[in-house]
Amino acid sequence: MKKDEMYKAISLLGIFALLLGCSSNSGPSVSEDDPETVARRAALKAEIAKHYETKVALPPELFEDLEAGRIEKEVVDERIAAGEFPRFFQFKTVEDLPDYLVWEDGSDLPEIGSPKAKKGGTIYGTIQDFPRTLRTVGPDSNGRFRRYLLDHNAIRTAREHPNSTEIGPNGPRFYPGLAKEWAIDKGNQTVYVRLDPKARWSDGEPVTADDYLFMFFFFHSSYIKAPWYNNFYNRSYQGITKYDELTYSIKVSVKKPDFATYVLGLVPRPEHFYQDLGDDYPERYQWLFQPTTGAYAIKDEDIRKGESITFTRLDNWWADEKRNFRYRFNYEKKRIQVVRDNAKAFEMFKKGELDAASLSLPEYWYEKLPDDDPLVEGGYIKKAVFYNQRPRPPYGMWINTAKPLLDNQDIRVGIQYASNWDLVIEKYFRGDYSRLNHTAIGYGKFTNPNIKAREFSVEKALQHFAKAGFNQRGSDGILVDAEGRKLSFSLTTGYTTLKDPLTIIKEEAAKAGLDLRLQILDNTAGFKMAQEKQHEIHFMAWSYGAEMYPRYWETFHSINAYNPDGSIKTQTNNLNSLAIPELDELIETYRSSGDVDEMIDLAHRMEKIIHDSAAFVPAFHIPFYRIGYWKWRKYPDDFNVMKSEDSSEFSLSWMDVEEKKATLQAKDRGETFEKSIRIYDQYRSE
Amino acid sequence: MFGMKLNPLTAKKVARFKEIKRGYYSFLAIVALILFSLTAELFVNSRALIVSYEGKWYFPTYRGVISGETFGLDYSYETDYRQLRETFKETGSDNWVLLPLVPYDPYENNEYEGVFKPAPPSIANRHFLGTDTTGRDILARLYYGFRIAIFFSLVFLLLTYLIGIAIGCLMGYFGGIFDLIGQRLIEVWSNMPFLYVVIIVFSVVPSSISNSVRIGILLTIMVMFSWMGMTYYMRTGAYKEKARDYVAAAEALGASTGRIIFKHIIPNTLATLVTFMPFTIVGAITAITALDFLGFGLPPPTPSLGELLKQGTDNLTTAPWIVVSSFMALVAILTLVAFVGEAIREAFDPKKFTVYK
Repeated sequence: MKKDEMYKAISLLGIFALLLGCSSNSGPSVSEDDPETVARRAALKAEIAKHYETKVALPPELFEDLEAGRIEKEVVDERIAAGEFPRFFQFKTVEDLPDYLVWEDGSDLPEIGSPKAKKGGTIYGTIQDFPRTLRTVGPDSNGRFRRYLLDHNAIRTAREHPNSTEIGPNGPRFYPGLAKEWAIDKGNQTVYVRLDPKARWSDGEPVTADDYLFMFFFFHSSYIKAPWYNNFYNRSYQGITKYDELTYSIKVSVKKPDFATYVLGLVPRPEHFYQDLGDDYPERYQWLFQPTTGAYAIKDEDIRKGESITFTRLDNWWADEKRNFRYRFNYEKKRIQVVRDNAKAFEMFKKGELDAASLSLPEYWYEKLPDDDPLVEGGYIKKAVFYNQRPRPPYGMWINTAKPLLDNQDIRVGIQYASNWDLVIEKYFRGDYSRLNHTAIGYGKFTNPNIKAREFSVEKALQHFAKAGFNQRGSDGILVDAEGRKLSFSLTTGYTTLKDPLTIIKEEAAKAGLDLRLQILDNTAGFKMAQEKQHEIHFMAWSYGAEMYPRYWETFHSINAYNPDGSIKTQTNNLNSLAIPELDELIETYRSSGDVDEMIDLAHRMEKIIHDSAAFVPAFHIPFYRIGYWKWRKYPDDFNVMKSEDSSEFSLSWMDVEEKKATLQAKDRGETFEKSIRIYDQYRSE
Repeated sequence: MFGMKLNPLTAKKVARFKEIKRGYYSFLAIVALILFSLTAELFVNSRALIVSYEGKWYFPTYRGVISGETFGLDYSYETDYRQLRETFKETGSDNWVLLPLVPYDPYENNEYEGVFKPAPPSIANRHFLGTDTTGRDILARLYYGFRIAIFFSLVFLLLTYLIGIAIGCLMGYFGGIFDLIGQRLIEVWSNMPFLYVVIIVFSVVPSSISNSVRIGILLTIMVMFSWMGMTYYMRTGAYKEKARDYVAAAEALGASTGRIIFKHIIPNTLATLVTFMPFTIVGAITAITALDFLGFGLPPPTPSLGELLKQGTDNLTTAPWIVVSSFMALVAILTLVAFVGEAIREAFDPKKFTVYK
């Protein structure tokens, strides 16, 4: 017995030791003057220098041919040796700057943020899984946590103004971030940037043009184990030129009205932090917080594995006084904790342990926190709806036209009429969401306003199915054709949370004699199935960034549907296996066009062709976001900026620390405040 | 086993089982429930039992879809019988509709206050246990869910026992190398993570196959990973029995291996088996409930206890009736089965009648 206990104690100790081992956050300890480290760093320096010297800018087509193996590497190497292509990295002096440049700094645009904002306080948020890494590039880095590190924190060179829809001769309007000013040379597809001399990394090092040069080395290198970045930074850019420590220019490959976004949207990489870059990058940098240009940094002791991560605001952040930034990033600390269960997170919110919760789903807005909930009634929690304007994820049913029967246009049109999304929106989403009309909603003028999704109509569906030969109902009410084939398809999805609407679609489709067999997979398996093009009808939405115009090549060009030998091409976004020669032509013109009006016209025509093909059943889109928040949290008077994806994307909110105490005390005493349910519809477009 | 003339020993055991009232009544209750569930269509169904239209009688329950046009309605899909009844009432004709007690099927979405949301239990609208998050009748879903679960577990029981008994007996009877290798193989096999296999298999199963086949695949996987437990008991049982004199006698008389195993050994180890059965059923129901809860079980919208339970826990505060009814139903079924199991174990307990030396 005693022996048993001893073993138990020993094994427990072992487990503790293991846990302790796991929770130590310090990266691999590197002693500065260890000869091995010194040698390795010197080697990396030499490698970077060599890359700067030898790297050439290949034309994008040539690069693509090389990647696809259509051209021999030796042939290209010979051409490079012959000096056919310009060097990617160039070093010049300020005198070399062209004199025709017009410098701008976006100072004529309204400032973002509210002057009422106060600094300080801690906010609490949740995440479902603990991030698997703190890297933002490389294996496992594309998780939900990356937005906290990058999108919501890191300051870009300059950013599209979130309240401006203006499209000038040089594309959208920007407000400066790391840049002090910039000049757009449209003829040469080059953008010149002067960095803000105040810009600093969170460890105090200045942000310089060298960090941009290094950024290209970083993304060109194979160390980062991220082929997508390798490809993107090779194909999209034609080179960077350094003029002085704070001045550089970047040339873009694509000829697009918004090509400046490709340059101004860049976030540099701190060269001094990546001294130990090498093949062990994924492991070495796994839990190291890269110095950021943003307001929040993570301290080693604030990474509590499996539990929480806390961001702390920098004292004397470099952009504290900068226009467009001085009223933002207001909290002292942001604590993100792991809560696996949504229902639990919501209860925590109602107890005041979290500051805000999304109420975008109708059941949350109407049932879980109804307008007459005591917390809302008493004014402790405010509710708000904000109508934003940005590209909408196209939720809908992607029909694989390469599958038998689904290659028949009449059947596809029949499926359109048999899909009762209007009922789902009205009865399940309670009329809050809007019917999606086609794939490109939310792109302003690029959105074709004349296309309407086909309505639910048993009669019309039956007519079209009958045209395809399905004119008899079987004993189960499902249509059959003369050969005895049943009108039955599988409807797959990786969205487990949207299972219920699909069961309604299934029940309604049966009325039109169409059998949809539901298959709800987990996220990864569902997406994999669609990527392998094994689906018949797949329900999903692409998540689109706030881009100026919709993309068609990825999703609808035949090159992404079929291989040259006629077999199905997998791992592309053309989920419809759509191959329409007329559409291909338009897409190619559109892709190489730099003219806004022409692109708008083309986008409208392409959307019409896609609508006529009936390969995509548009479902719904959400024209707003809704949140509930405790009254100590404050938002600007107009709540948020037009292009914001959610309430925290632009970090405009702040909190009143005193009020938090007072509110919770008042709640205990039963005192109430004024009820607040507000709808901000100044940007509502439909 | 059944239908044969019981030998006195078995008869005694049965009599003893009947004496244990709690288990016996639970057994009767389960049998009644199973039989009742076979006729579920007559009690819980959106299709009418009888429609009298223009002097003609229709019995829609067990036949194919009857189009709305048959009854003079303006649509070609399946008749909405609840609405049909209202129509007949309004027009004041001689036509009439007889609806089942619960006039809903487990798939249809019913509005509540104009939207699809959970409706609390109500006798007036005949949602006796309320509706779930998309407005489907909970009683109907529970009832059909129970039917699927119980038959699923009965088939599961049959298959696992067939395999488990056969292999276990063989290992025990032959012993030696066969036993040794068999045991190691089983150890290896039982270390395969069941849940991952389910996930992997279902991610590669083509979606073109029908729901019933998918249920079959799930059953097969579950059987494949569950027969091992039985082999251990059967192996020991067979090992023990094999050493006894009557087996030696049978061997001496020239009985074949098959005859010895099936005629002599299995009947004598049956006592152990019978006591395990109810617990296997409990295990199977729990397993399929757990799989549904995790989203890897029966394909939606198949009615299932686990799926209801999941909905219930997600809506604990806003629609408590979902979790209450699904939880109570699950507890009731499992308790009944467990009571039966307990009684069988007690009735078959050899200690009461025999003394082993």
